[in-house]
Amino acid sequence: MATHRGFGISSIEYPTGMNQNGDPSQAWVKVKPDGRVDVFSGTSDIGNGAKTIQSQIVAEAIGIPYDWVTFDNSNTDSSPVCTGTFASRATFVAGNAVLKAAMDVKQKILEVAGKEMEVSPEDLHIVDGEVQVKGSPDTKLGVADVAAAATWTHGVLMTGTGAQLNEYAEITNTLTGEVSGPPHAAISYAACAAEVEVDDETGDVRVLRLIQVYDVGKAINPSLVEGQIEGGALMGLGLGVLENSYPYYPSPDHRGYSIGSYYMPSSEDMPEYKTAIIENPSADGPYGAKGIGEMANNGQPGAITAAVHDAVGIWVTELPITPELVLRALDAKAEPRREGKLIAFDEELSVNSMASGISWSV
Amino acid sequence: MNIVLNGVTVAIKSPPLASLLTVLREELNVTSTKVGCEQGGCGACTALVNGKPQRTCLTPIAAVDGASVTTVEGLGDSDHLTAVQQSFVNHYAAQCGFCTPAMIIAATAYLEGNGSSDREEIEEALKGHTCRCTGYQKIVSAVAAAVAETTFDLTVTTPSPNTVIKSGGQT
Ligand code: FES
Ligand code: FES
Repeated sequence: MATHRGFGISSIEYPTGMNQNGDPSQAWVKVKPDGRVDVFSGTSDIGNGAKTIQSQIVAEAIGIPYDWVTFDNSNTDSSPVCTGTFASRATFVAGNAVLKAAMDVKQKILEVAGKEMEVSPEDLHIVDGEVQVKGSPDTKLGVADVAAAATWTHGVLMTGTGAQLNEYAEITNTLTGEVSGPPHAAISYAACAAEVEVDDETGDVRVLRLIQVYDVGKAINPSLVEGQIEGGALMGLGLGVLENSYPYYPSPDHRGYSIGSYYMPSSEDMPEYKTAIIENPSADGPYGAKGIGEMANNGQPGAITAAVHDAVGIWVTELPITPELVLRALDAKAEPRREGKLIAFDEELSVNSMASGISWSV
Repeated sequence: MNIVLNGVTVAIKSPPLASLLTVLREELNVTSTKVGCEQGGCGACTALVNGKPQRTCLTPIAAVDGASVTTVEGLGDSDHLTAVQQSFVNHYAAQCGFCTPAMIIAATAYLEGNGSSDREEIEEALKGHTCRCTGYQKIVSAVAAAVAETTFDLTVTTPSPNTVIKSGGQT
């Protein structure tokens, strides 16, 4: 009786968004008289950092400091349509919408600045909150001054709108689920390696290390990407070895009734993480970004399962890999056959077959 | 009944068996204490009661009559964050933020109890607090850094010789 170490790997391919309904997201942006920018987007932040990412994209696209941007999606009256924060689509789809809105408002800023500076808008660009003449950075006007002039001199409200709508992917064959166009936007790739320790006496599986590599297209905010990967890793660890609505019991009548009978990973279950982010840009995401949200908890269960096999030579085909499943599999491995023949006995099957008079002649 | 909430004495009108969590949120509008499980399992409702972390969902208000209760509202404000709060910001130790107020309360108590920057000890201290988003890594790093900041002067660039920094498992 001992503990055994094992390693396993898995790989993931994951789509961004879903195009059955065109997957729309919309945003609009307005410049206040002091040059600060309000962003109204329907895509809400559920902890994935969508607010931060969308604000970053607007700041970058216009050419103003990040802290000039106020993000507002406090209500559905002032915010435009977004199908939601799901399908790993916020950065990609909403990011494209705010990017378009920002480019739109940028053009308005350049037009007003062009009038003020008596320069054609094509010859202007915005760097760090200042409109500059291309190639002659000393001829410049602050975005705040442009905004003031728009308000008080030109009578213009500078706004921009952006809408992302993909080609509809209609189901053309209900049997196969075949669709008429691309069913989703960019595809992200990842791999996960797990190191586990399996106790062959108790059946306990401990995940010691998770090494993960994610291709996210472009890490618009590397700290948030890393947070998403680490958070997903622990969820995946929960899926792999801990979380079950019917923990250890054969009947739903015996299911857990309190939070204590549902095993969520705690800080003490945390493995050692090693994370690498690969930037393999998508063709049409904002700055090449792809979705990473949901795939972050897909790789770990497979890698852990393979690592358990490496450690003690059993394939557990149900998740989570509870001590009971490990011990049963170890038993089955120790004595899988009798006299070289595969013989299985299943109580339920046998009672049913007797009751319904089925004769097994195979 | 009354409690001293973040330094201010407030009279309580709720019935004696109302939980401290309900009193804080519904009667006093202090919403940093979160309603997670209301069974004592998730830690999201934790506040300091007489300086000790306590699950407010399992605490009848009558049991803490006259006690001092501290929530994150009583720690720092956005211009003067405590070392723990600043460290959470610096380390991106929050995603959705649901667990964060109670994590900060638990970390504050850990620091006040002279907790070390050893990661395993921090994990042990926070194990009663469920976080669904971060994977805990950045939270533990934030607490470890907060410990370091409070044990030596930040203006000094080299750690003081008294600061013991332990590496994984070697105590
Ligand atoms: S709400 Fe109090 S511990 Fe979960
Ligand atoms: S940050 Fe979401 S639960 Fe901890």
